[in-house]
Amino acid sequence: MGTLNRDDPTSLGLSGEGPRPVRIGHDEPEDWVAALSEPGAAQDAAMRRLHALMVRAAAHQIWRMRAALADASPHAVDDLANQAADEAMTALLGKLHTFEGRSRFSTWAFKFAILQAATEVRRIQWQHREVELRDLEVEAPAHDGPDHAAEAGELAAALTEAMRTALTPHQRRVAIALLVDGVPIDVLADRLGSTRGALYKTVHDARVRLRAALVATGHLTDTSPTPTTPAGTP
Amino acid sequence: MSTTAPQPDRVLTPAAVDALLLDTTPWLSCEDCFERMDTYVEALADDPSHRDPAMSVHLRGCPACAEEADTLLELLHDRD
Repeated sequence: MGTLNRDDPTSLGLSGEGPRPVRIGHDEPEDWVAALSEPGAAQDAAMRRLHALMVRAAAHQIWRMRAALADASPHAVDDLANQAADEAMTALLGKLHTFEGRSRFSTWAFKFAILQAATEVRRIQWQHREVELRDLEVEAPAHDGPDHAAEAGELAAALTEAMRTALTPHQRRVAIALLVDGVPIDVLADRLGSTRGALYKTVHDARVRLRAALVATGHLTDTSPTPTTPAGTP
Repeated sequence: MSTTAPQPDRVLTPAAVDALLLDTTPWLSCEDCFERMDTYVEALADDPSHRDPAMSVHLRGCPACAEEADTLLELLHDRD
């Protein structure tokens, strides 16, 4: 898919300074949904134009995250951006009927390429790393220094205790992996056979419980509205 | 009896404490954040003072969604 010259990094807009700005040309279809839906020459042209936009967006995301890659050469970024754009095109075309025109089509399309590219970079970054789902090993730091350090230590100790008593084992493991160990959420979702949304809900519920526990013990002032999770949300 | 000092990654850092206690209400799922990201970022690009509390809270609490929203905003700035 696409007609980019893979041997020419500048075809992606890549240079030593990073991706070129994305320019939306005058050859954009007025009605992207129609152009992409109706078989014919116009559809072929729209698909090529869309893929080029997706490659640019993916390359921009990969360039931002290039420190996470062992090989961030223009050629490697080119390959990765094209793979991400291919996957993102499939995802976008499956949801084409849901585009309502509330944003520009190119903006709507970019987000699919960005999501795919970012997810792929995080997957590569962690592909040879084990994700440890540990439970009750987190400890509060020692505090024998100045008052503010002692206060911080006391809060951390209370939080550690709340993690033991207020969270389920699953909530604890997910919260520790995501918020203490810094495992990317889509990497953890992939390892657990879960979804980003499901894990974010788990960690949201854990945060609500931890805040409530620390409000109850006087370590936190409840200045927020009562947490409400609409019924039926994942 | 001797005690063993916890390994550095076993200690709750101030950043971890902040992350664990972040108030992420009102609730917004990652899926809903993705659905709204294009309109939210376009509004933000047009008017930097634009506010959507649910999106702002979600992006504070979800580094992955925040990274992707930042990239989209950069692309729009480059495009316009």
